[in-house]
Amino acid sequence: MTNPQLLEPVRTAAAEAYKLVIPEIALVGVACVLFVWAAVSPRKLLSLVLAIIGVGLAAALTLWYADGSTYVDGHRYYSPFDPTGVAAVVRWIALIGAGIFCLVAYGEVTRETAGEYYGCLLVLTAGASLVGRANDLVTLYLSLEMISIPTYVLLYLPVKTRAGQEAAMKYFLLSVLSSAVLLFGFSYLYGLTGSTNLRAVVDVLADAHLSAGTVSPLALVAVVCVVVGIGFKVTAFPFHFYAPDVYQGGPTGVVAVLATVPKVAGFVALARVLGLLVPGGGLPFDAVNTTVPLMLWLLAAASMIFGNVLAILQADLKRMLAYSGVAHSGYILMGLAAAGAGSPGGVAAVIFYLAAYGFMTVGAFAVLAATSTASRPVETVDDLAGLAQDRPWAAGMLAACLVSMIGLPLTAGFVGKFQLFFAAWDAPIGTPMGNLFRALAVIAAVNAAVGAVYYLRAAGAMYLRSPLTPFGAGRSSPALWAAGICVAGTVALGVYPKPLVDAIHAAMTTAVAK
Amino acid sequence: MDDLGILRTLVLALPAAPLAAACVCAALGRVGAGSVRRFAVGFAVVHLAAICGSVLLAGNALQNRATEPGGFTPFAVPGASGFATAGTTYELFPVTPAASVQFYLGLDGFNLPLLVLAAVMTLFAILVTGKTITDRPGSFFGWLFVLEAFCLAAFLSFDVLLFYAFFELTLIPSFFLIGRWGVGGGRRDAARKFFLYTLFGSLFTLVGIVGTVLENPTPIGASGMPSYEPPVGNEVRKAGPLTFSIPQLMKNVPAWEGIIPVRVMQAEAVASAARVHVATALRQPNAAAKREAAAELASAEKALAAARKDLDDRHDLRLWLFLALAAGFLVKIPIVPFHTWLPAAYGESPLGITLYLAGALAKLGTFGMLRVVIPLAPDASVLYGLPLIGTLAAVGIVYAAFCAYAQSDLKLLAAYSSVSHLGFLALGLFALNTEGFGGALLHMINHAASTGMLFALLAFLYDRYRTTDSNSFGGLIAKYPRYAFFFMVAALAGVGLPGLCNFPSEMLMMAGLFDARNTRWVGYGLAATAAAGIFLSSWYAFTAVRKILFGPVIEPAQPAGDTPPVDTTRSETRTFVLFAALCLALGLFPQPILDTVKPEAETLAKIVTKARERVTPGLTDPIGVGKGATNR
Repeated sequence: MTNPQLLEPVRTAAAEAYKLVIPEIALVGVACVLFVWAAVSPRKLLSLVLAIIGVGLAAALTLWYADGSTYVDGHRYYSPFDPTGVAAVVRWIALIGAGIFCLVAYGEVTRETAGEYYGCLLVLTAGASLVGRANDLVTLYLSLEMISIPTYVLLYLPVKTRAGQEAAMKYFLLSVLSSAVLLFGFSYLYGLTGSTNLRAVVDVLADAHLSAGTVSPLALVAVVCVVVGIGFKVTAFPFHFYAPDVYQGGPTGVVAVLATVPKVAGFVALARVLGLLVPGGGLPFDAVNTTVPLMLWLLAAASMIFGNVLAILQADLKRMLAYSGVAHSGYILMGLAAAGAGSPGGVAAVIFYLAAYGFMTVGAFAVLAATSTASRPVETVDDLAGLAQDRPWAAGMLAACLVSMIGLPLTAGFVGKFQLFFAAWDAPIGTPMGNLFRALAVIAAVNAAVGAVYYLRAAGAMYLRSPLTPFGAGRSSPALWAAGICVAGTVALGVYPKPLVDAIHAAMTTAVAK
Repeated sequence: MDDLGILRTLVLALPAAPLAAACVCAALGRVGAGSVRRFAVGFAVVHLAAICGSVLLAGNALQNRATEPGGFTPFAVPGASGFATAGTTYELFPVTPAASVQFYLGLDGFNLPLLVLAAVMTLFAILVTGKTITDRPGSFFGWLFVLEAFCLAAFLSFDVLLFYAFFELTLIPSFFLIGRWGVGGGRRDAARKFFLYTLFGSLFTLVGIVGTVLENPTPIGASGMPSYEPPVGNEVRKAGPLTFSIPQLMKNVPAWEGIIPVRVMQAEAVASAARVHVATALRQPNAAAKREAAAELASAEKALAAARKDLDDRHDLRLWLFLALAAGFLVKIPIVPFHTWLPAAYGESPLGITLYLAGALAKLGTFGMLRVVIPLAPDASVLYGLPLIGTLAAVGIVYAAFCAYAQSDLKLLAAYSSVSHLGFLALGLFALNTEGFGGALLHMINHAASTGMLFALLAFLYDRYRTTDSNSFGGLIAKYPRYAFFFMVAALAGVGLPGLCNFPSEMLMMAGLFDARNTRWVGYGLAATAAAGIFLSSWYAFTAVRKILFGPVIEPAQPAGDTPPVDTTRSETRTFVLFAALCLALGLFPQPILDTVKPEAETLAKIVTKARERVTPGLTDPIGVGKGATNR
C-alpha cells in the first residue's frame, strides 16, 4: 500500500503540468484554426496575419503568465516539463524565429497552401519551444516529432519539381530512421533506470556511475543511439549527407527552417539528455572514465573539417550553406563536448551560439528568398555577382550574415565563436582527455579561417564583380524585412551581447540544482 | 569639465568621428565626386588638428599621471573615475559570470604618437588619391574613414579582446578598398589573399588570447586581496577572477611565472619534512604513527609531483601561447616567410591605399607585439623572441632587400623595402630594452613617413603614365627637376641619412641590440645583419634612383587623351613638401616622441628585465645595463 502523501507531488505535478506550456497550447490552437480556415476559404495574407497573431499571442502569454510559479522543486522528478533553466531562453528563440520564418516564407507560399504552411510553422515552433522544457523522455521525443512531422509537410507542400519531391522523400525517410534510433536509445535509458522522467534518469545514472565508478555498457549504447539520432537532426558529420540534397531541392523558406529549428532543438535535447542543463548535477555519462567526451570530440572535429572543406567545393549556394551548417554544428559540438568534460561555460556558449547561428543563417536564406525570382534565380555563387550594384540593401544584409559566419567582430558570430573557444580551453586538463580540448580550440580556429574562404567568395562575388545578367528592380518584400530583422539581431548580439549573455548565465543558475 | 574630462570625451569622439564622416561621404557620393573629395580633405585636416590638439592636451597629463608599477597606465579612460587603472565601468559582456570584456579605451605614451600617425596617413592617402578615383568616390572615402576609425580604436584599446576585435575589423574596409578600387587585374585575388592570410594568423592570436586570459587569473593572497609577489614560507596564492584588461594581465602573468616555481619549492619543503617524520617514526615502536607518517609522505610526494607537472605544463605552454599570440601580428607586419600576401596587396591597391597599408595598417602588427605579445608573454619573449622572431626578421631584412633589388616595378620595390624595414623594426622590438622599444616606436612613425613619401611619389608617375615599371623610365631629372629632388629626399630618408627620419630610430634599435644581456652572438649577429640591411637598402634605392632619374630621358607613351605631363602640380608639390618636412622634422627632432614613449617603454623594459631574471637563473646585472637602460 503506497502512502498517499508520497503520491501527492506526483498528482499535483501532473495536474499543474499544462500550466507550464500555455503559450505552446495557444500556438497549436491557432494552428488548428489555420488548418480549418484553409480548408474552408484559403487566403494568403490572412493566413500570415493569423500566424503572426498566434506568435504574438504566445509571446504575450509568456510575458503575462510567469510559468515558474506553479512549479516547485519537488516536481522535478514528476513533472513532464521543467520551466527552469534555459527553457525560457529557448522559448523566446523559438518565438522570434517563428515570426521571422512567417515573413521569409511569404513570397513562396501560394494561396492554396498558405493555411497549412503557416499552421505547420506554428506547430513546429511549439515543438521547438517544448524541447527546451521537456523533462521526460516521452515529452522530449514528442516535442522533437512535433518539429519533424510538420517539416515533412512543409517540404512537400510547395513542391512542383522532381528534385523537390526527391528532397522531401529523402528527408522524410532519413528523419524517420533517425527518430527510430533515438527512440531505441531512449528505451535503453528507461530500461536502465525504470523511469521516463529525464531528471530521474540523469540523476540515477549519475549516482550509479559515481558509486560504481564505471558506466554501464548499456548506458553507453543508449548514449550512442541518442547522439546518432540527434546527429541527423543537427547535421553532424557523418550524419549530414542528406542535407546538401535536401537544401538544394527544397524551397528556400522551408530550408531556412530546416537549417535552424531542428539544430537548435537537437542541441538543447542533447544537452538535456547528457545532464548538462542542470548546474551542479552529476554527469550521467561522466567525463573522466567514459568515452562519451571523446566521441563528441571526434564528431566535433570531423564536422568542422569535413563541413568546411566540402563547402569550399560547392558552387551552389544552398549546398554551400548546408555544408557550412555542418561546420557550425561542429563548433557547437565542441562547446557541448567541453561542457560534458566539465567546462563551466560550455552550455552557455552553446545556447548563445545557437541564437547567433539562427540569426545569421536565417538571414542569409531570407536574402536568397528575397532576391531569387523565377526569371532570375539566385542559385550559385556566380548568380550573386554584382548584387551590390543592383540590390545594395540585399547585398549588404547577406554580407553582414556572411561576415558573422566568418566570425568577424561586431557580429554575433564572433562573440559566439569566442565563447566556444573559451569554453573549449577552459575544460579541465586533468582528465584522460588531457590537452585534447585545447587542441580542438586550435582546430576550430584553423577551420574558421578555412570557412572564410567560401564565405568570402560569396561576398566577393556580390561586391567585386559586375552582374552577369541584371537583377530585377529592387522592391521590398516580407523576406527582405525578415532578413533585416536577422541582420539587426546579428549586429546587436555582436555589438552589445551583454543582455543575452546575462540572461543565459542567469538561466543557468536558476535551473533547479540537484 | 577639467582637462581629463575633455580628454575622456575625446577618446570616445576621435575614433567615432571618422565613422560619422564615412556616413557623410556615402551620402555625398550621390551629389558629386568633387564635393566628396573636398569634404574628405576638409574632414581629414580637421580631424588631424583635433588629434594633435588632444595629444598636446594629453602631453601634460601624461607626464603628471600617477603610474602604477608593473603595467601600462592608461589615462583619460572613459567610464573610469580619476586615474583608476582597474578598468572601466563600460562592460560589453561577461564571459564568465565574474569576468567581463570591457569597452576599455585610454591614452598612454605608446598610442599617442600612433594616433597622430593614423590621422596623418589618412590625410596623405586622400591627397595622394586625389581625383584618380572616379568609380563611387563616396564609398571609397567612406571605407577609408572606416579603416581609420578601426585603426584608431585598436591603438586606443586596453582590453585585450577589444584590441583584437578592432585589429580584425580593419580587414573589412581593406578588403573592399583593395578589391574594388584596385588598379590591377588581380585585385580581387589580392584582396581575398590579404583577408584570408591575415585572418588565418589572427585566429591563432585569438586562441592565444583565450589561453593567456585563462591561465593568468588575478592571484589572490591569504588576505583575500590581489597579491603579485611570490609567496613566502607556506603562504598560498589562489586563482582569483579572470581579466581581459591588458594592464591587469601584465601584472598577473609575471606573478604566476613567479608563484608556480615557488609552489614546487613549497611542496619540496613539505615532502622533505614528511621524510623526516617517516624517519623518526620508524625509530619508534608505534605502528599507527608509522602508518600516519607514511601516508603523509605519500600525499606530500603526490602534491610535489602535481606541482612539478604544473610547472612543466606552464613552461611547455609558454612557448605555444607566445607563438599563438604572435601569429596574427607576424602575418600583419609581415615577417618573412609570412609576407606572401603583401606584394599582391600592395601591388594591386590604388597608391593612396598602399600608402595607408604600409604607413598605418602595418603598424598595427608591430604595435600588437608591443601592446600584447611582449607584455603578456614576457618570459617567452626573452627565451624565444630573438632566437625565433629575431632570426626570421633578420633573414627577412636581407631576403626582402634582395627581392626589392630584383623588382622592376617600383611599387613592388617599395613594398619589399617596406618588408625589409619592418623586419628591422621587429628586431628592435625583441631587443627588449628601453632603447629597442623607444626606437621601434619611433621607427613606426619614421617608416610611415619615408615609405609613405615613396608611395606618394610613385603616384605621380602612375597618374601621368599609368605605369610604375622602372624599365620604362630614365633621365626624369631633366624633365621633372622638382620631382627628382623630392625623389632623392625620399630615397635618402629611406636609407637612413643622418638628419632625415630613419636615422635616429635605426641607431636606437641598433643600440638596443648591442645589449650585453642578450646572448652575445645572437645579439651581435642580428645587429650585424640589420646593419647589412641598411647597406642593402641604399644599394637597391640608389640603383633605382640612377635608373629612373639619370641617364638619357626615357618615358613611356602617354595614355591617349591625357594632357601633356608637367612637373609637380601645386597640390602634388604641397603633398611632397609636407612629406619632406615631416621626414626632416622627425630626423632632427625625434626627442618629443621619445619622451612621450619613455614611461611605457621603461615599464615594459622593467617587466622584461624581471622576466630575464626568472628565466636565466643566477643572472645578475654584471655591468648595470638594466639600470643604465632605465635611466636614459
